[in-house]
Amino acid sequence: MSLLNISCKKATYLVSKKEQGRINLFDRITLRMHLGICSLCRRFEQQTGFIIKNTKHTHTEEKLSEEVKERIKEALESS
Amino acid sequence: MKPSLQAEEWVDKYGDLLYNYTVQRVSDKGLAEDIVQDTFLSAWKARETYKSDASEKTWLFAICKNKIIDHYRKKSSSPIQYAEADNTSNFFDEAEHWTREDQPNEWGINYQQPVETKEFYSILEYCKKKLQDMQRNVFVMKYMEDLSAEEICKVLNISSSNYWVIIHRAKLQLRKCIELNWINS
Repeated sequence: MSLLNISCKKATYLVSKKEQGRINLFDRITLRMHLGICSLCRRFEQQTGFIIKNTKHTHTEEKLSEEVKERIKEALESS
Repeated sequence: MKPSLQAEEWVDKYGDLLYNYTVQRVSDKGLAEDIVQDTFLSAWKARETYKSDASEKTWLFAICKNKIIDHYRKKSSSPIQYAEADNTSNFFDEAEHWTREDQPNEWGINYQQPVETKEFYSILEYCKKKLQDMQRNVFVMKYMEDLSAEEICKVLNISSSNYWVIIHRAKLQLRKCIELNWINS
């Protein structure tokens, strides 16, 4: 029985392996058992999944300063 | 058309796009500027070999992406043991259960719905920059560049078990940072 009990630290580690499809059958079972009884680790899985899903859709609009643009243009012209 | 004119057009047309892409993937602005300049210089030198069947934009972004990965690679050109201090040791107690200070709290949002606030993205940027270098590099390569675990280990010269430890710590830190700055603010 204790073999199947894993800690929160271990469970959150396994959440990444599961998310990337690199979890073995034994770990998958122990993780599922842990998540069944631990709402904190379920939240961790949900929230990190949410962060990952939104990582690519960044909406920042950073711009180069005119100064740097000029520097690059000069570098190109003299190369 | 004079080549010098074309160079100017390039920078005006793609400079901001490349910079915006790069600054999200490296730790600071000066570095991002250097990578963009480097991208233009390499592209400029190779402009004779550029095939017009790929769009100019796609071509420049491919060069830029390689420059970013090269930047990660440079940092660990000789085999290294992952040695950054564990900045997540306080997340769990002796029994490896969540500590009260660092446990995930309810965010009160719908996790299935896309984020609509700009605030979230600027906090995500802020939190990414606060990660340790290796944590940020691995996170960006995995979740923004879509590299496989094997490719990332090769570029960074780390073992597979190092990779999983770094991913784990990066996620613990990011989640915590976003909760502190987005939800609790």
